[in-house]
Amino acid sequence: MALMTAEIEIAFTVNGIPRVVRVEPRRTLADVLRNDLELTGTKLGCEHGVCGACAVLLDGEPIRSCLLFAAQIPGRAVTTVEGIAAPDGELHPVQEGFWESTSFQCGFCAAGFTVVGAALVDRGGEPTDEEIRHVLSGNLCRCTGYASIVEGVRAGLRIAAERADA
Amino acid sequence: MTDVTGTRVKRAEDHRLVTGRSRFADDVTMPNLLHAAFVRSPYAHARIDAIDTAPALAMPGVEAVFTGADLAAAMEPLVLQPVEGLLAPAFYPLATDRARFHGEPIVMVIASSRAAAEDAAEAVVMELEPLPTVVDAEEAIAPDAPLLFAECGTNEMYRNVSTYGDTAAAFAKADRVITERFVQHRYAQQPLEAHGCVSTFDPSSGELTHQSSHQGPHMLRLGLSFLLRLPLHNVRVLCGDVGGSFGSKGHWQREEIAAAFAAIHLGRSVKWIADRSESLHAGGQTREETVDVEAAVLDDGTLLGLRVKLSLDQGAYACVPYPTIVFPLLARALMPSAYRITDFDFEFVVACTNKAPYLAYRGPWEIETWVRERTLDVIAATLGIDPVEIRRKNLWDDSELPRPLTTGAATLRDLTVRECLDEAVAAVGYEAFRDEQAAARENGRYLGIGFSCFIEPAPQPIFGIGFDFVRTETASAQLEPDGSLTIFTSQAPHGQGHETTIAQVCADRIGLPMDKVRVVHGDTRLSPFTNLGTGASRAATMATGAALGATQIIKDRVLRIAGHLLGCDPDDLVIENGIVRSSANAEAQIPLMHVALVAYTTPFTLPDDFETGLRTTYTFDHEGGWAQACHCCVVDVDIATGKVAIERYIVAENCGKPIHPAIVDGQITGGVAQGIGAVLLERSAYDGDGQYLAGTFMDYLLPTALDVPFVEIVHIVHETDDPIPWRGVGEGGGIGSPAALTNAIEDALRPFGAAVREQHLPPFRILELAGVIE
Repeated sequence: MALMTAEIEIAFTVNGIPRVVRVEPRRTLADVLRNDLELTGTKLGCEHGVCGACAVLLDGEPIRSCLLFAAQIPGRAVTTVEGIAAPDGELHPVQEGFWESTSFQCGFCAAGFTVVGAALVDRGGEPTDEEIRHVLSGNLCRCTGYASIVEGVRAGLRIAAERADA
Repeated sequence: MTDVTGTRVKRAEDHRLVTGRSRFADDVTMPNLLHAAFVRSPYAHARIDAIDTAPALAMPGVEAVFTGADLAAAMEPLVLQPVEGLLAPAFYPLATDRARFHGEPIVMVIASSRAAAEDAAEAVVMELEPLPTVVDAEEAIAPDAPLLFAECGTNEMYRNVSTYGDTAAAFAKADRVITERFVQHRYAQQPLEAHGCVSTFDPSSGELTHQSSHQGPHMLRLGLSFLLRLPLHNVRVLCGDVGGSFGSKGHWQREEIAAAFAAIHLGRSVKWIADRSESLHAGGQTREETVDVEAAVLDDGTLLGLRVKLSLDQGAYACVPYPTIVFPLLARALMPSAYRITDFDFEFVVACTNKAPYLAYRGPWEIETWVRERTLDVIAATLGIDPVEIRRKNLWDDSELPRPLTTGAATLRDLTVRECLDEAVAAVGYEAFRDEQAAARENGRYLGIGFSCFIEPAPQPIFGIGFDFVRTETASAQLEPDGSLTIFTSQAPHGQGHETTIAQVCADRIGLPMDKVRVVHGDTRLSPFTNLGTGASRAATMATGAALGATQIIKDRVLRIAGHLLGCDPDDLVIENGIVRSSANAEAQIPLMHVALVAYTTPFTLPDDFETGLRTTYTFDHEGGWAQACHCCVVDVDIATGKVAIERYIVAENCGKPIHPAIVDGQITGGVAQGIGAVLLERSAYDGDGQYLAGTFMDYLLPTALDVPFVEIVHIVHETDDPIPWRGVGEGGGIGSPAALTNAIEDALRPFGAAVREQHLPPFRILELAGVIE
């Protein structure tokens, strides 16, 4: 018990800002983001790695922040849902796409889908609906039945292409 | 200016959702916040002999430990509204003498962090003596069953027999009687945000401020006041963003009441957020009903009469404060639906067992549609009649309407179920499908098609079951001094988008752009009283009707004042984009803000008989109406793996005019997804001793983006004289889907003689039905 509750210091960046936290080694990254850094955009739906609500980008790749200890990521770069839009507030194409597509209902899952969707849109290419669904299948939504979220990703791809052309 | 009602405007809610600025219960924090964790029963049934809390109290960060005895000494017990003949033993948020289901809360630990509280919970020592368990409703009401509540002397909490028409005469005329038993399994609502609250007691004012993930804040406020002995005016409930509910957050959740108890007794803020394990064990389960049906039929498929016996397994405790019997009463009321079923007997029994409580789930009467539509398919198959034809034969004709619903005071009128069925048949290409199905079978591929028809009370008519208050709804409107409009609704949205839909209709009515209309909800200090909140597909008609009524009163006052200021006849004035202008004189115009400022700051300059208050409250009364649909599902069943692929899913529906088409489609598709999950994946499984077996999302499977097909939706809209032409659509998706999907699966497996009589059809069961495994 003592080993797990003795605090350790961890330095990493979150949304481009260097952060140093002192936390118990047993604390998950999701916990530290939400409680120590007050970034409550990241949600906890199951805390056992199934629902995907807690997705964040770690060095650009989507991961589940409930399955990582903060102690595992010194020196790494984390992007949360709060860091997906541009610093001036311009929404990421997938955020615009979700908004114009009425993608969400209660929106508890929205942060996870936004993080995963942003990574998918940023990867580019022309994924089929089946490929989009495959990527999204790691995130649970209980409200929508997913069609609107697939539509939102597709709109995000379109908006990204429009911005690239502009 | 273009009207926004009926268009896919961007939702007011979504910017905060996609940027991480939403505020759900767990996102709320308070100074010196304490956290609750619960010690739960590891047994389905146990006598509590002793509890030693001292080791937990000695743990770091622990502020207090409460047992059931502590609560019982200082609060009122949870009880139901009295109903004649209903056994409703009282209980407390924490078990006192006995635990009656696996996962029931027994001890509450309050500490400086959730981790510290959970650590200390591990240190509580309980002496529990396991008792015999009963986990089946039929066994529970047998004479020798172990009793959950000795004081009741039985596990049969309620029994009711109703007869309509004359089934004896109907059955005497029958060519044959079809007898079947249908089993609907136990499953769960599982919103992605589980139950939770942050409860704060202010010792200075004596006020409890309770922030909650809830769908009925006023009802929760009544409960906190009554149970915790606080004057109602000292209790305020706040709901921010609520992450889904589907019926599971409409009652008094025990842990939430306990957390508020702790907040009062410690004079602090206490947070409890259910984790997924707590939610799956004790956050609400549902739907577990077994139904015996006798159907009297003629050989041509005419349904002469129905005799139905329903047994509902409510788990250990009733849903409080709404009694569990509401669900079978609704099923009884709606079972004849739009069909020519006038001779009808309905008997039901509610039993208690050693399982978690049965709570409402989207379309809480869904069993009536599943059983009726399955029965119709069984009759059709038995008599060699097409399943579409048997529905056409037995649905009421327009020429026979309006008429009273067989079971109650509601009137069947404006029914378009036949049209929905015709549209679904056309959309799926029914005749071509039958050819394709026959050809596929030749090649060892098993396709099937299923239909289900239903009408959904949206909003609910009266039915004579004691819920008469549902026919009114109240809202307030306030034109602000800057000319913007604030609507205060009684709705407590948790995904329905009411901040958008109510703003759409009110913006059009008053003549403001959408972003100048704000919808406030979820604060019992601001929102008008209701004992329902959001549920029962009422908002589209009731909440918009109330908000529009209040907005119209404000608009009339504004136009009268503006007419005075402009020297115009108010009848010549219109409001567009926040400007009041005369249709008779282009020069005459004045900003809404100017009118509002006069009313607020210099009302004495207006004639004495003018109403100058720009805030008003309006109560809307509506008799209710029907949303209706036909679902059609096409499946491809792989008899090597047992996997069911849903090739097409069509919903032809009539919910009146849509306020926001994408929200309507989302409600339908989301409801269908839940029905698909129920049939193919989800089960709140218990073993024979009452041990709960599905405590994670790896055991309790929700459908993913790969499991839910694209749902094709055909909207049927008829012109109407009703000034409030919108009907609710929240529940139908979940009501029609288990029936359509199970009908399709039986149709696919017809070459194997499969009889689908249970609703849960995971791959192993499909293989059993196809005779591939035993």
